[in-house]
Order: sequence, then C-alpha cells, then structure tokens
Amino acid sequence: MRQPKIIVVGGGLAGLMATIKVAEAGVPVELFSIVPVRRSHSVCAQGGINAAKNTKGEGDSPWKHFDDTIYGGDFLANQPLVKAMCEAAPAIIDLLDRMGVPFNRTPEGLLDFRRFGGTLYHRTAFAGATTGQQMLYALDEQVRRFEAEGKVHKYEGWTFLSAVLDEQGICRGICAMDLKSMQVRTFSADAAIFCTGGIGAIFGRSTNSVVCTGSAQSALFQQGVHYANGEFIQVHPTAIPGEDKFRLMSESARGEGGRVWVPRQPGDPRPPKSIPESERFYFLEEWYPKYGNLVPRDVAVRAIHKVVFELKLGVEGQPAVYLDVTHLPRELLDRKLEGILEIYEKFLGVDPRVQPMKVFPAMHYTMGGLWIDDENQATNVPGIYAAGECEYHYHGANRLGANSLVSCLFGGMLAGPAAVRYARNLERGADAVPVSVFEREQRRQEEINERLLRQDGKENPITIWKEMGEWMTEHVTVVRYNKNLERTDQKLQELLERYRHINLSDRTKWSNQTLNFARELYNMLILARVITLGALRRNESRGAHYKPEFPERDDANWLKTTRAIYDCGNIRFEYDPVDVSLIPPRPRRYDVQ
Amino acid sequence: MAETKTVLVHIKRQLAPDQKPYWEEFELSWRPFMNVIILLREIAERPVTREGKVTTPVAFDANCLEEVCGACAMRINGKARQACSALVDQLEQPIRLEPLSKFPVVRDLFVDRSRMFENLKRMKAWVPIDGTYPLGEGPRMAPEVQQRAYPLSRCITCGNCLEVCPQVNERSDFVGAAIINQVRLFNLHPTGAMHKRERLEAVMGPGGIHDCANAQNCVKACPKGIPLVESISEVNRDAIRQAIFGWLFG
Amino acid sequence: MAASGASTNHREYFWRKLHSFTGIFPIGAFLAEHFWSNSYVLVSVEKYNEVSRGLQTIPWRVPLEALLIWLPILFHGGYGVYLWWKGKSNVLDYPWMANWMYTLQRWTGLVAFVFIGWHVYTERFLTQGRSTYADVERALSDPLYFWLYIVGVVATSFHLGNGIWNFLCKWGIATSARAQRGAAWFGALVGATFTMVGLAIVLGVRFDWKPFEFYTLPRQ
Repeated sequence: MRQPKIIVVGGGLAGLMATIKVAEAGVPVELFSIVPVRRSHSVCAQGGINAAKNTKGEGDSPWKHFDDTIYGGDFLANQPLVKAMCEAAPAIIDLLDRMGVPFNRTPEGLLDFRRFGGTLYHRTAFAGATTGQQMLYALDEQVRRFEAEGKVHKYEGWTFLSAVLDEQGICRGICAMDLKSMQVRTFSADAAIFCTGGIGAIFGRSTNSVVCTGSAQSALFQQGVHYANGEFIQVHPTAIPGEDKFRLMSESARGEGGRVWVPRQPGDPRPPKSIPESERFYFLEEWYPKYGNLVPRDVAVRAIHKVVFELKLGVEGQPAVYLDVTHLPRELLDRKLEGILEIYEKFLGVDPRVQPMKVFPAMHYTMGGLWIDDENQATNVPGIYAAGECEYHYHGANRLGANSLVSCLFGGMLAGPAAVRYARNLERGADAVPVSVFEREQRRQEEINERLLRQDGKENPITIWKEMGEWMTEHVTVVRYNKNLERTDQKLQELLERYRHINLSDRTKWSNQTLNFARELYNMLILARVITLGALRRNESRGAHYKPEFPERDDANWLKTTRAIYDCGNIRFEYDPVDVSLIPPRPRRYDVQ
Repeated sequence: MAETKTVLVHIKRQLAPDQKPYWEEFELSWRPFMNVIILLREIAERPVTREGKVTTPVAFDANCLEEVCGACAMRINGKARQACSALVDQLEQPIRLEPLSKFPVVRDLFVDRSRMFENLKRMKAWVPIDGTYPLGEGPRMAPEVQQRAYPLSRCITCGNCLEVCPQVNERSDFVGAAIINQVRLFNLHPTGAMHKRERLEAVMGPGGIHDCANAQNCVKACPKGIPLVESISEVNRDAIRQAIFGWLFG
Repeated sequence: MAASGASTNHREYFWRKLHSFTGIFPIGAFLAEHFWSNSYVLVSVEKYNEVSRGLQTIPWRVPLEALLIWLPILFHGGYGVYLWWKGKSNVLDYPWMANWMYTLQRWTGLVAFVFIGWHVYTERFLTQGRSTYADVERALSDPLYFWLYIVGVVATSFHLGNGIWNFLCKWGIATSARAQRGAAWFGALVGATFTMVGLAIVLGVRFDWKPFEFYTLPRQ
C-alpha cells in the first residue's frame, strides 16, 4: 500500500494534537511553524480548559456544558460537533493529565476545577494561571518523542505561503519559505491540516502574539477556501493596555473571586484602597446578579464600554476599570493566579495583590475562521483541513472562556485521523502529480518576493499596518455602525492601494523580517475586509457582534453562517442555515434571575 | 522650555552568521511605558541611525510579548533577559542591545537556540504515554507534588540560564540548567518516574550534569524564578545514587 | 558505570565525580592531617621534629604517599587545570556571590596546584624525605618564600572550604536553598579554620612563635 504523507501547518495546541494523531496512525508528518512550536501562541492561554467532570457535586454534565456553549455563542454554532466536543472534553482532560500537565489538585489528589465566565458550574481545570503553556508543553513533548522516533519532521522557522493546488483544485502540498535563507520551496503531501491560530495583528494591538496575523488563513481564502463568520471577533474585558500589545488578565482572576468596579463618583482622584465599599460601583454584580463578574465576555465588554463611555465612570476619567483581587488570601493568589499577577507586576511595577489592577477590553479571539464541514474539520478544498482558532466551528457568535483550549484539542483530534483517512483513500497520491504543478506555485511565490524587493515607493508597511489596526479596533470591535463599517472598508481599500507602493527598508536576502511582514500585511488587509464586510452585512446584534442600530438578535433573517468566498479578486458572501437541531434557540439574557 | 526626552540605543548588528558584527546608534523620542520591543519596532518603522544614516530594521525574535513564550531573550546592558519585560525607564542609557552570546547569531539580535530543543530530546523530557486513546484518568497526585512540579514546568526555554553560565561556552557542550530542570520535572511525575533511569543515564552523558560547577548564575538569571540550583542538586543526588548502585550492583 | 547504558558515554561523568571526590578524600583529609602534624611547630622544635620523624618512618611510606597523596594530587590538579581551561568566568558581567566563588575556586585551584608542586619538590624531594624544622625555617627566612607560603596556604584553604560546599551541593547532599546556605556556612567555617591554622604555622616558624610551648614545661 502507498504510504501517504501529511503536512501540518502551525504548532500550537491544535497543530500538535493533529500531529500526534497522524503520527500515531503510522503516517509520517511534516510540521511547519514560524516559531519553535514551544513558543506558539497557545502558550498565552491562562485560565484553564473546560470539561464537565462534575467533581464538585453540582450536577454538571456534558449536556450542560454543551448548552452553556451554545447559549453563550448566541445559537450561531452548528450544534452536533459542539455537542461531541463537550462530550469528549472529560476524556481530553484525562489525556492531558496522563501526559503530565501539572493541573492543580484537590486535597484528595484529584483535579481541581474553578469557575469561569458564562457558566454557574466549577468546570474549568487549570494549571495555575498558565494552563495553555502547560498544555502546549505537554503536547510539544509528545511530538518531540515522535520526532526522536523519526515519525515527525519539524520545519521550525518556516512560514506558510500558499497551498499547492492541482488542475482539479485538489491540495497536493504547500509552498513555504525558510525565514533564515528566505528560500521558497514546495513540499508535497496528500493532505494538509492548518492550525494557524488567531488574527490579532489585524487589529494592531491585541492580546495575541506577534505571529497571529491570520496570514495563512487569508492566503488559503485567496486560493478558494471559504471563510466563515469572520465578523465575530471576541474582545476580552480585562487586559492591560500597552503600546506594543494588550496583555491579558485572565477571566480566572474573576473565577477565583476577583471583582470589577469603578468609583461611583466620576473622576474620583482617591487611591482605590481608600474608597469605601459604599462608594464603589460593582456594575457587573449589580446588573447581572446571577452571573455577577462571570458573565460572558461580550456582555462584560459592553458593560465596561457603557460604564466608561456613556456613564463616564472610567477610573480617573481614563478608559479603565478596576479588576480587584486584593481581598483574596495571598496564599490562594500565589497558588492559583501567580502567572498573571506576575505579568501585571512586571509590566506595570505595581503589585496587584495590594493594588487593584487597571484593565480595559482588548481584541482577543476570532470566533470566525476557515469554513469546515460538520464532521471532519475538512474545508471546501479537498485535502485541506483546519483546526483550532483558525476555523469557525465551535463558538458561534461568542466563545466562552476556557472553551478555546478544548476546541483546539478536539479539532486536532478530529482533523488528524480525518486527513489520514482521506489520504489513504486517495486514488492518486501527491507523488503522482506532475512536478510542473509544484514548480508553477513556487515560481508564483518567488515572483511575489522579487516584486516586493524590487518595488520602489514611499509607503512603509508598518505605517499601513498601524493604520489598519487603528481603524479595525475603533470601528470593527465592540460597537459597530454601518456608516463606520463602510468607511473602514473604503479605508482598507485605500490601504491596499497604498500597499502597491510600499518600499521595503530591507532588501537583503537573509533573514529579512521586513519582507515576510510585508507579505503578511497584504494577507491581513484582505482578511480585514472579509471581517468588515461581513459585519456590515449582518444587520442584527448577536454575541460579540453588536450594532446599536439593530440592537436585537434577528433569527428570522440572520440565524445563518456567513460564508465569504474569494472570487477573482472580489469578496462574495453566501449564507448557510445553522444546524440548531439539538437546542432550539431561545433569548439570551444574563441579566434576569 | 520643554525639551523632548529621548532614548539612546546602541545595537550590535550582524547581517548574517558569516558577517562581522558592528554597532549602530539610534535616538528615539521617549514615551511612557516603553519597552525594548517598542524601541525595536520604532526603528523598524524608521530605520535611520543617530547620524542620519539609512539602515535596515533590526532583526529580532519575539512572539508573545508577555514573557511566557521565551522568544525575545537578548543581552540588554550586558545582562541576559527578555526584551518584552525590559522597561526603558528602568534601564540605564545608552541602552546596549546585543544578541545572546552562547548561541549562533542568525541575524542582529536573532539567535538560533535549537540546541536546547535537541537536548530536550536527548534527555527524553516527556511522559511516555501508551497512546492518546482513552485509557482512563491520569495518576493521582498529592497537591504538594503538583505545587513542586508546576514551578519547574514554567520554564520558557529562553536560554538565559545558559547565557549566564560560565560552563556553557565554545569549549564545553554543557546542556545547561534548563534542560537538567526538565529531567527533574519528569522524574517527579508518577508515570515519568517509571523511566527515571533512562533520563539519568542521559543526563550523565557528554555535556551532562557533571559539567555544572555551581556558579549558580542560572537561578539568578531565570525570569520565571525556577529553583534551578535545587533542581540540579536533586538530579545530582539521583544520578550519583544510580551511578554507584548501577556500578556496584547493576 | 560499566553496567549502565551501553549507548551513553559516561566516561566524563566518572572522571568528574572522581575529581570532585579526590578533592575531599584523600586530599582534603590529608591536608587536615598535614596541618595537624605541622601544628607541632607551635609547640616546640623538638616536638615537631619528633612528629615529623615519626611520620617519615612509617612502614610502606613511599607506596602510601604515592597512592594517597601524590597520585590524587596529580590527578586532581591535572584534571583541574583542564576544567579551569573549559570554564569561562563572566563574573565581571554577573558579579554575584556564587559566581565569585566559582571564579575564585578556579584560580585558587591553579595557585594551590603550583604551590603544592613546589612545596612537595622542595620539602619532600630535595630533603630526601627527611625534612626537619631547620629546613622549613631556612626556607621561610627568605621573604619571597614566606609570601609564597602565605598565598599558597590561603589559596589552598579557600579551595578546600569552597570545595566542600561545592561537594555538598554537587553530590546532592545539600539540595534545598536552605540546606545549601547551611553547607556554605560549613564550607566557610572549614576554609576559615584552615586559613587560620595554616597561617599560624607559617608565622610560627617564621617568627619563632610558640604559643603552645608552655605545654612542655614541667608543672609549677
């Protein structure tokens, strides 16, 4: 029998899990990652991973997890796979535990669980406040073991440029660039799994890592892979604003008892600790008595916006609210939250165990992503699979905290075996594809590089990127107006025009980060348009997508999956019905008892 | 008269591994909460030296910018640390930026630390599981053991502990504290402990634990406060035990 | 390490551990004995010569000396030079306490090795193994030799004291930060004691200082 070969692009949680699954099936894997996989963005996930193990006698169950996820996502997610994910979650935790993830323990030596947003149950397993880091390391170690056995070959320091598609439009491999030598090369494979993560860089500053540009998704989109629900962008309520990025302050701070408040008196100049309880406005607890500080993220973000911009109650008149953990015992803080408190302390020089933290919402996650089918994580292009944040399937219109880690792993667990099945059943493997198909793609990509290096204009890629980020953050995050969305799209088109005149300040051919960034920038601009246009068209409010002009959810017209399609340089939209066969949509109200 | 505050930066540049390093000076306008990453990005947007010479953006490695991915380690004013958490206001000027000296330079401040990952492979730094299929729950673990293992597991492979170690240099292939710490971590895990012997064998191999000479710089340089000295000592104890008993009775 | 690991090469580990071990035993132990018996110079010339003579006439003297003193010192010193060459001190960049200790350990080792080599050559071989108080006194009357002895004694004592701390840490006897602090104090105490005793011996001979001479006087 022909031995198939599979490529995985992206070495975060989803990519590593897919790699493990493929290697375990006895199929060789080539794993591509811009950074050493141990430095992938999954490392930043803090609070934990959800699984209804019901260890606290609360009567939690996978069905309740499923219901919370669907309800939290405002019924936009296709339900069967979400249900399967919630059912698989307890076993996923067990697997991670077996791999050695140092989850916090109860006195009995069992896994401990904490509360998170959008649920009333203790459902979130955690390893201090660096759960993603711990999980990423565990998977990285398993992959390293396969690597030592010769089953996995890693290409770290390579960036994905494009898929290699044959005459029938079937994916036969990828084209990638070595970020040291800048060499462009094609790699043949029978299937490719994309686990290329988030798109934060499109918004300039976000909670995401530098590599989260969405460039790979956009490149695939431009090659015919559909992009779904792009307009659903999660803004996280509690981050520390910074010039280079917004640093996340995990929801777990609230899950462990942290409280969000502002002084009742606008612009109150007193230091926070000297403001008496009665003069503090715990607005989340007052407005949402049942969930309190643990309402879903979109709800919390809009509440903070209201407090800061409408009620003008931001701390010291600035766009900031207090996230307060100073009332919690120091021992608990150090045991369960040290990782994040340390970040605050290092970057701001203030000890959050003593002083309330000043936080503000920041772009955090994309619910939307590459379109995949209802069972195999397969995109619409044969041979291309996707898992993790880069696909759209699991979170609907808003993701619940601690669900991303579980969706990454579940997606990877499905995508790996599905790609193996597909590759084994292929009649004609990639090795039978004429060399010319690969040569053509390589040539096309080399030409892009040559053009960029030759080009002589006045525009600077970083300036264009900053402008894009400012516009996207201002108009396409928390509150969206159609007029502004239209203006943003015009701006993006203007930036695309200006992009044609960029001048690379570095024209060398070795480790040229400017060239790579310029390539990514183009892809970001295209994806930014997909997001903006998707938001413009969706005239309703649902989950993270909020339009004051259309404040209600509109199931009659918009209980639909957005599907963006790239058509000869134009972005076209189609809409699919959402599979709501298991839980009928009901109004989403976190403010009622 | 209000004068604009500026930041002076000296950067050691090197275009490629086989090229000669040289220094360049930059002067940037100061803003609050600046860190070294912001400095480098500003230079990238306007790569002009202090003398007005047009140059190329500075290549550097960075990813998470919150000191958890380990990418942006470099020498800042002579000290190995993460660039993201190096706040300009806390640094003496001119700020000197140099690549880590114990790893091959790729370009400018970008170095190749793949050696660390290779050594993790050699030390079998993993919990060998039978497979990812459902095999039930993991081993029970006392909270106290978890509290001991977790800090060890926060190593971000930044390489600072190797950079500051006098025993890591071109005459010695010492694996360094980070790697030995991982041996301890996996020997601590109930399943990992089943393969303790293999890891100890490896850590007694060339460039292994015996190359540590107790300068204890590692623990001072670790941005994550990992008790590296304690880790090395514990692995030492297990190794010597295995060496003696393996030798006498093996 | 013959039994363990056919695949991994443990040769260096073995030599390294042997190096570390020989520093304490027999070298450290011999140094203690040497300082002890030399302390008789602080009692009286006769007593010193008597003890010396006693040691110089033990049975199996040469093979014992070779096995317990010369070979271990040659190995510890010789291999030590190789280790000194392999390490690259960076104490000027990172001026931390333990880093200073690391650097000093290397240089004092080198100094001690040279000093001991010269000391053995002059006092053991040139005297054909029959060195007396007079030989030592003659040597120390030369200011250059006197200062060589001072430096040699201090370097050797430091090297031993710090070496004991290293040994306790590197053999996993003192593992926790607290235990290592304790081990450091212990090492410091050993080093300080050896320095004081060693200097007392050198000064005793040089300045004919016999603080314990009254032991030999008859009862009043």
